Amino acid sequence: MSVASLAKKENGTCPPALITPGRHYLEGSEACVEGALVAGLKVYGGYPITPASEIMEHAAQRLPAVGGRFIQMEDEISAACTLIGASWAGGKAMTATSSPGFSLMQEAISFSIMTETPLVIVDVQRPGPGQGYITTSQEDVMQARWGHHGQGPIIALAPCSVQDMFDLTIEAFNLSEAWRTPVLIMAEETVAHMRERLIVPDLDQIRVVPRKKPQDLGIAPEDYQPYGHDLVPPLADFGEGYNINHVSLAHHPDGNVARYNLDMHRENVVRLHEKIEGNVDAIARVESRFLDDCEHVLICFGAVARTGVEAVMEAREVHGVKIGFLRLVTLWPFAENQLRKLINKVGTIFVPEMNLGMMVHPITETLRDRCDRVVSIPSIGALHSPETLLEKICEAVKC
Amino acid sequence: MLKHPMLKYLKEEGPYGPRLPLILCPGCGAGQVLNFTLHAVDSIIEEGGAKKEDFVFISGVGCSSRLTSHYLNFDSAWTIHGRSLAIATGALLANPGLNIVVFTGDGDAAAIGGNHFIHAFRRNINVTVICMNNGLYGMTGGQVAPTTLSQAITSTTPYGNIEDAFDLCRLAQTSGASYVARWTTAHPLKATKAIKKAIGKKGASFIEILSQCPVHKKETPVDMIRALKAMTVPIKKAEGSDKIPVGEFCDTPRPEWTEKYETIIEKCTARRS
Amino acid sequence: MNRIFINTDYCKGCLICVECCPKKALKASSAISAKGYTLPEPHNPEKCNGCGMCEIVCPDFAIAVEKEDKAV
Repeated sequence: MSVASLAKKENGTCPPALITPGRHYLEGSEACVEGALVAGLKVYGGYPITPASEIMEHAAQRLPAVGGRFIQMEDEISAACTLIGASWAGGKAMTATSSPGFSLMQEAISFSIMTETPLVIVDVQRPGPGQGYITTSQEDVMQARWGHHGQGPIIALAPCSVQDMFDLTIEAFNLSEAWRTPVLIMAEETVAHMRERLIVPDLDQIRVVPRKKPQDLGIAPEDYQPYGHDLVPPLADFGEGYNINHVSLAHHPDGNVARYNLDMHRENVVRLHEKIEGNVDAIARVESRFLDDCEHVLICFGAVARTGVEAVMEAREVHGVKIGFLRLVTLWPFAENQLRKLINKVGTIFVPEMNLGMMVHPITETLRDRCDRVVSIPSIGALHSPETLLEKICEAVKC
Repeated sequence: MLKHPMLKYLKEEGPYGPRLPLILCPGCGAGQVLNFTLHAVDSIIEEGGAKKEDFVFISGVGCSSRLTSHYLNFDSAWTIHGRSLAIATGALLANPGLNIVVFTGDGDAAAIGGNHFIHAFRRNINVTVICMNNGLYGMTGGQVAPTTLSQAITSTTPYGNIEDAFDLCRLAQTSGASYVARWTTAHPLKATKAIKKAIGKKGASFIEILSQCPVHKKETPVDMIRALKAMTVPIKKAEGSDKIPVGEFCDTPRPEWTEKYETIIEKCTARRS
Repeated sequence: MNRIFINTDYCKGCLICVECCPKKALKASSAISAKGYTLPEPHNPEKCNGCGMCEIVCPDFAIAVEKEDKAV
């Protein structure tokens, strides 16, 4: 059964609220929303922008079926802000935008980091600067880390397939609740618009992380500190009698901002930093193949992984090049330790990206002493073909 | 020492020290508006009109918005400049049972927040917006605002304001607010009554309270309150007067956003086997 | 007689209560407080009728009226 039919009544009854286990043939945009619904999405605040509008349209159609609410807001800023209010009121919330809209959401992201508000934002990247173009890109991956003002850490995932759009959206919600933080899904037009097979397991096999509440820890309202008790503080929702004060000015763990001073601000910012960057190994994921015998390695993320792995396999099978493949599933926090554990000594590290070279910098910083050189393979506005990548590999290793 | 009756709704002491007195300047109108609001809320709670835990106070940024910074013994949020209505919208979508009061100022609501202002009223979401209008940006040093009167001298109109001011009540009404009223800090009982009425109504209510900023205007609070009384006229007697009308501008209930969305949810979930 | 309490920790001497009292039962003190404010003080307190207007206009929740019949 396709999801397209899910919104229509069949045989006089309404279709099931959540996607049924089994095989589906879906667009990445649709898979993203279905994953969000399985994770417990209740509120979507959106704004149209190419190439992300399909995610919003799908959410508009599907949310009422789970008793959730969809609203199209007046701009991207208010769309992102809707998620903040929804999350505080106990509703898991998501929006999707593209690069220009992503720029508009940065203040809301910074605010969410400081107030430790779980929410999910999907950026279906397109080329810039400005209105740029409407095809695919990976040009916002640094903006994901540094676009929001201040030094708050962020979690950002990079889906490479329709299956990923489903699975990683669920993972994004889980990470946002587990670490009480906003999470970004750095998709691209490629992955949002591709249509391929999705396998949905039995829904009770899918892990959904619940919010950590003060009630669960036996904390009474009069003792509750919204930014205290733990490295990841428990979060009370509106309406539960906990009298929570959300603030983003420098604050003490109990939300007090009176006589704010630099020491209290530093303490808080360091804790926020440690919460994510100090737990990289628990948060960040990479996937790898052919690393055991590799003399070179191709490191990529997102849609580039699809053609990247093709090029690697052809280089190995046809040209005898011992090249390994590594995909960053998580862009941020950056999986520095894992990369250094997986890669010992190689000749060339190839980093194809749909930009002029962005993730190549932390990759180089991390692995420069483990290789002879790092070769950036840029592409603007289009996915590298396997042939282009193979050509670059062969040129570099002289095969 | 008998304490002020509304202190039961404020957080005075905590593990990291005292939170009061309010950070606001002596005689600031915003503190008075908080007082009016708490009296209104107290009255509603005492009469059983709403539960204390359902109240949520959301503000943006500015002097008026400091009211929710960390003082309230309610669920509250001190958010982003101009965006409190968008955040309130999200909270309502997650929990339509919340009783949301938005504290905002004239700059927060009508300049940076202008877009969200008109859409929140157009949508008629269930929220009570209390706008403390002092005709300038207080927190940042007294700059001109969309509500500053023509020819006024402010820190960014040192030669006189060449722009005209918004009529916020008319803006709210035109946008679609169901209940709109204007009072001043010189009308404490009427303002409190209007706030209480607004909170009790479903749909989007807008209460503008003209408030004094003694520090930037360099006048005493008492003189400014006397002036607010003198420069206003009840709406019924406003015809032909060039004073600012105060009172109720409209009271036109219409279906509220989450009520209307409920019919969509019912359609999509009805008769599920 | 009704009693008027002024919390000198919270009062900032704006004197709005003095202005708004319908019975003129408050006046500005001649002394300056430790924080540099001219605080209000009861003035002919027997005139206070417990209307609570001072309570409702105070920006700092710094004044409270105890009505005679509710005194403990």
